[in-house]
Amino acid sequence: MRTRVLTVLFACLVWTSVGCGKKEGGAAAGPGEPAHVDGTPHTDQVVNAWKGAGFPAEGFAAIDPTAYRAGYCSQGRVGGIDALICEYRDDDSIDRARKLIQDEWGKEGVHTGVALRSKRTLVAVADRGRSDPSGKTINKLLDTFKKL
Amino acid sequence: MRKGLAALVGIIALVSLTAAAEARSIRYHAQHPIPAKFGGGFCYITEPHVHAFGPSDPRLYRMHDEEYYFVGDPTPFGYDGPRYSYYGPHPVVDVGVEFGEPVYCYLDGPHYHWYQPVAQAQFEFRGGAYWYVGDYDPIYYRQRGRYVAINEAYRPVVWERPVVDVTVAPPAFHGVIVAGPGVHGHAVVAAPAFSAVVHVEEPPPASIHVGVGVGVGGPLVVGHGHVIVAEPPPRTVIIREHHDNGRHEGWYKHGKH
Repeated sequence: MRTRVLTVLFACLVWTSVGCGKKEGGAAAGPGEPAHVDGTPHTDQVVNAWKGAGFPAEGFAAIDPTAYRAGYCSQGRVGGIDALICEYRDDDSIDRARKLIQDEWGKEGVHTGVALRSKRTLVAVADRGRSDPSGKTINKLLDTFKKL
Repeated sequence: MRKGLAALVGIIALVSLTAAAEARSIRYHAQHPIPAKFGGGFCYITEPHVHAFGPSDPRLYRMHDEEYYFVGDPTPFGYDGPRYSYYGPHPVVDVGVEFGEPVYCYLDGPHYHWYQPVAQAQFEFRGGAYWYVGDYDPIYYRQRGRYVAINEAYRPVVWERPVVDVTVAPPAFHGVIVAGPGVHGHAVVAAPAFSAVVHVEEPPPASIHVGVGVGVGGPLVVGHGHVIVAEPPPRTVIIREHHDNGRHEGWYKHGKH
């Protein structure tokens, strides 16, 4: 039993260090790793814009973009709100991803959720912890994003 | 057999739960009040978004593309953003929304919205408010019976309405001005807290509380130039309305204002 638990923990550790641990703004994508999409705001640009606007951003890391039909995705938290940022190569994928995300929010019962695109970058913010009941923080995050 | 039945019950429960969960995502087009049981106040998100809750009062909304759009005065809900004063019914001229057909605000009397009329809209700013001076689309009359209920939704609400000088109402204003008994000449409609207050300068002073949406359609309707006076007891209401070739008749057919 103990061996099994240790094995699972070790597997999680390896997965975390390889996958989720990959920080934003790092070196160029290696072979097989997703690369940023040209011609649209990059995920790290969005995060930096939020930081520049005074919002504490934490834990942003690249994730598997195929789950959201994207070329590149990153997720983390900003101002206490969950944020997913994805870069796309075509409009159809953005529309499908937005619907996918909103459907997930519906099933999950997310208190507040917004999915907004600018060019071919999609930002999806979800306030699961009701940390922004008036939506003012979310609105400022979106305004900042729209200016990119 | 028993296992099969249990599995079936489990599946049914799961499907029911899933359906219930999906129903919890409600789409809003822009800013809106938050129901009291979800904390109250106002949601300031100007982009289309979803919440896990529906509107507290559907009379304050229009549905467009499966999204709720708040058409009321945000002031009573603690809204502290930019706001613009209007008098009477008018087209919704929010640059943030495209309905595809004319959509009207049916709020009577002085009220606020967060949007300023777009430049091409036919509004005049006089006496402290925007007045709609264009023609109403037929849809305004068709839908009035359904959407005028927004005034009922606001009737029990206490809030500060804008102060509007109705004596300088634009001649082209088609709507109804609600004032008080014996009001002549200079009248200022204001509402410091509860409802419209009419300060009468001539004849001598009176301060009458008249709720916007006060019942109209009394027995006496007297045309006086461009002014029509209705005096339904026990409250007296003066309605000042400019002639519009009979198009306003729907107001009287529907009775209340």
